[in-house]
Amino acid sequence: MDEHDWITDKALIEAAQQGDRDAAACLYHRHIDRVHRICHRIVLDPSQTLDCVQEVWLKVFRSLGRFRGRSSFAAWLNSIAANTAIDHYRRAKRQGNHVDVDDPEVESLAADERTGEQQLDDRLVRQRIQEALEEISVSQRTAFVLRYYEDMSLPEIARILGCREGTVRTHIRRCLLALRARLMAELNQ
Amino acid sequence: MDNPRFSLEEFKALFPDRFESQEKVLSEYHSFLMLLEQLDRVPVPELPAGTKAEIFRRSWQARPQGWSHAWSWLGLLRRPAVTFAMGIILGCSLMFAVARGRPVVPQAATPQQALAVERTGYTQIYTGKIVERLYPQIENPKIVVERPEKSSAPQRVLYGTLDDGETSVVWNL
Repeated sequence: MDEHDWITDKALIEAAQQGDRDAAACLYHRHIDRVHRICHRIVLDPSQTLDCVQEVWLKVFRSLGRFRGRSSFAAWLNSIAANTAIDHYRRAKRQGNHVDVDDPEVESLAADERTGEQQLDDRLVRQRIQEALEEISVSQRTAFVLRYYEDMSLPEIARILGCREGTVRTHIRRCLLALRARLMAELNQ
Repeated sequence: MDNPRFSLEEFKALFPDRFESQEKVLSEYHSFLMLLEQLDRVPVPELPAGTKAEIFRRSWQARPQGWSHAWSWLGLLRRPAVTFAMGIILGCSLMFAVARGRPVVPQAATPQQALAVERTGYTQIYTGKIVERLYPQIENPKIVVERPEKSSAPQRVLYGTLDDGETSVVWNL
């Protein structure tokens, strides 16, 4: 357990706004893993994820002075992380920098018959899932990630994506159907 | 069997009127639960401690300095009532200058100025460091306050660019 767990985000933010580096570091370490998870699952390309996470925190510390606590810090941060990741993904896609995530180990494992079957299965499954996620639009993927991995409510997701709750529901439904269509047949084989 | 992450109620809300029988609903629900289980097999790799520290160091160093004092009064400027009052004061000053027959001299915005105001007709354009700090993500930000008629409420619009000028931003404030 973190020794600063008892300090609220609000107190840490106020101290960080006054220039307290330790408070900012504590706030950062409290939330960095969640930001990383969101970026990783939306951007999908590990070579781009770190840049995206960096960009999120640059934005956070640049704007922290203006954070007035109208929403929770976590919700504000999720919003910055999701939108930055969406922009990052679209920019990389536009510039052709997005690399398909073929797990290099899969190829070597596939060629190596001595490796355990289960290990190979797991890696293949992961690669199939990764490919399936890449085929879904970034808005649908973001809605799905925020709902089922970050446990955010539909109104919160709607605010982040700048759309109506009904649209978020449609995004999630399409994402689930597409993933099931793509994955279940293959994975059940 | 209900899953707290994806409850049966939520499933029904996502797929209303889609299934003809309760058995079909349950079988579809279970197939989506299995799907979520499969997705959980792709873990997010942990960020190494050194990388975390480096990201923090860069982000903290790049923050704007002097938050505590500058932002406290800049935050005040962002309140609609204060902005409106400032608009009134500036408008009165402009009218006073016009009434006295002085030509309104537009002040050119220079990067060194905290706030430059350019007045033309019914329009006031605000540029300078203060505006840049208000909207740090926007490049070359300027706020245009327009009041086409005496009785009408002033319209405030933020102009600028993003991505090194690739994207133009026009935002009604």
